[in-house]
Formats: sequence, structure tokens, C-alpha cells
Amino acid sequence: MNLVITGVAGFIGSHLAQRALEDGHEVTGIDCFTDYYPRLFKERNLSVIRTDPRFSLIEKDLLNLDLDTVFAGKDVIYHLAAQAGVRASWGEQFKIYTDYNVLGTQRVLESALRTGVGRVVYASSSSVYGDVTDFPMTEATAPRPVSPYGVTKLAGENLCVLYSTNFGLSTVSLRYFTVYGPRQRPDMAFHKFIKAILQNRHPEIYGNGEQTRDFTFVRDAVAATYTAGFARDVSGQVYNIGGGSRVSVNTVFDLLRKLLHRDIQPKRTDVQKGDVRHTAADTTRAARDLGYSPRMTLENGLAEEIEWIKDIYTVAAGGGNGC
Amino acid sequence: MAVDQKLLDILVCPICKGPLEMTAALDGLICRKDRLIFPIKDDIPVMLVDEAIPLETEPSETTDL
Repeated sequence: MNLVITGVAGFIGSHLAQRALEDGHEVTGIDCFTDYYPRLFKERNLSVIRTDPRFSLIEKDLLNLDLDTVFAGKDVIYHLAAQAGVRASWGEQFKIYTDYNVLGTQRVLESALRTGVGRVVYASSSSVYGDVTDFPMTEATAPRPVSPYGVTKLAGENLCVLYSTNFGLSTVSLRYFTVYGPRQRPDMAFHKFIKAILQNRHPEIYGNGEQTRDFTFVRDAVAATYTAGFARDVSGQVYNIGGGSRVSVNTVFDLLRKLLHRDIQPKRTDVQKGDVRHTAADTTRAARDLGYSPRMTLENGLAEEIEWIKDIYTVAAGGGNGC
Repeated sequence: MAVDQKLLDILVCPICKGPLEMTAALDGLICRKDRLIFPIKDDIPVMLVDEAIPLETEPSETTDL
């Protein structure tokens, strides 16, 4: 099959591309390498697949690329490109979020419709839920995002449903719950925690650390995403993709200290605007329709991320200065 | 012995081809756009992307959970 992955150089996109290539598909990747975090990380994400003859990379942003030319003859579009970052989405930065997350998604859907693409899989987020009172969150829970980022991801998701119901375009949206693992973005909590502990610094924990998340290992999220491109009778649907357990930030931090054998204390700072208190996914629907079943334990998943972080910083620092 | 100034004048970032700045400690060349430091080892700038060091400034002041 011929697949397109937008945001291919990112955390989840690069893993998805690797999985698709391993399964024998042709992959066209799109990424504009925004400067939200250093390009070096994205280059490294792609290094495994860059030389694969069935992989091609288009370095352009979705707002300016002639998508019809790229999408023509393609079977599935995995639309993972987005401006990430919950807390960075307030203020002047918001335009970037509307441009990439809303307008970019609308352009993808319009072009997919024109070119007759078989399926668009959209990377949504648990951020669309906001602060709910009933757990676990089901897809029927009314979404009320508490961050501008969540608002834009929900807008993209709603556009996917609209194009499905109005024009028959086959779309599937996946609400990822805090994905972690190798290649995690450098602004994400686990990445920062692990790096800081390895460097004997004190990582910041917002609030009292008792906020909880349903942490999802990247290969589990990728398995669901990959399957969503081919599953039958799922058009217009939205699915929670969670890791299966709800864990506090303090618990994760203790686990990291144990895995790294270091007794570092965190710095406690104010709760951030846009940060939800708890998330927990009901994945019954994804299990039923996508065969989704998260396999990775938090401890083993964190161990994999630790090894990756040790490698990336030690190599970059030329042998030991980084961590 | 310091890195030759003429050499520094013609070196550019291997990724964006943009200008480079010397670090305060004179031990690397900084690309502000890509937020990378290319280390100088034995007076030789190592212009390999694989050996570049991410600038310590975080991409965002915030942490995403």
C-alpha cells in the first residue's frame, strides 16, 4: 500500500513510518521541521528509515505544499503533523496552533477528498476532554478542553467527523493519552525528568505531583494508529488510545529514581494553566473496533526511554558530558 | 592554539547553512537556528550532525505532560 505520514520526523510519526516500512508499505513522509525543538532530534528519529528505498521525505509545511500531487494514488493518510505543547499554546503563539492544527488539517481533508484517498487517520489528543469529573473518560464524554492546544485538536477532530458525515471521506480520529518512550519530545515531562536525574539536577514537578495520567507507550499507540488505517466500518469514529493504567506524576518520578538508582529530589512549582488534573482512558471501543490492547508496562517502557535518552545525550556530548 | 579565524569565517551550519557563533568557552560553534553546538576538539571544529550537542536552553519554558 502507499501511505502518507505527516509529521513523519516527530515522535510518533517516525515510529509509525518504521512500522509501516517493516510491513512492506511505501511511505511518503511530510515534515516541515518546525523549530519548536531542535532539528537534531527529528533527524535522529528519521535516521533508521532515511535510507530505505521505499521511504521518501518531503520537507514542506502543510499550508504551502501542493497536497493533491502528493496524495494522488495514496491509500492512507496518517495526519500526525501538529503544533504540539499544551502550555505553550496561550497568547501570541496561538496563531501557530490554529495554522498548523486547524487550517493544516482542513487542507489535508480537502485534498484527501479531491484525490480519493481511502482513509485519513487523525492524531487527536486526550487534551480535548479537559477537566472531567467522571473516570474513565469515554468517547461519549463531552469534550471541554482547558487549553488552546486542546481547542485546536478538537477542532481538527470535528473537521474529520464533518468530512466523513458530509462527504463520505473515511476518517478515524485517535485520542492519544500522554505517549512516552524512545524519541519522546524534549519538552515532555519524562524526557526532562530522566535527563535531569542523569545530570544530577532537580526536575520541576508542577503542583503537588498527585495529578494522574494514563500513560501510553509509543509502540502501543503506533499499533493502534497503524491498524486504524486499514480497519473496516470505523469511518467517522473517534477512539481513546490509553496505556491502561492511571498513575500519578509522583509515582512515575519515584519509579524513575529507582530505575536510575539516584535519590534526586524534585523542585515543586506552581500548577500551570491548561494542565488538566487527571486523565484516564476507557479503551473499550478501540479494543472492539481496532483490536487495541496495550502491552507495555510502565516500568519496562520507562526503561526503554531511559536507554534512548542515555544514548542520545551521551553520543551528542561526545562520550559522557551530556548525562 | 585557537581555531583559525579564516576557517571560522567560512564555516556554516551543515543543516541550515546559516552562520555560527563561537561559544563563550571557545569550545564549540553555535547554530542559533537549529539550537546546536558543534564541538571543537583539538582545535578542530567537528561539523558532524551526529556529534552536535543540543543547546541546553529548552525549546519551551514549559513541560508537557
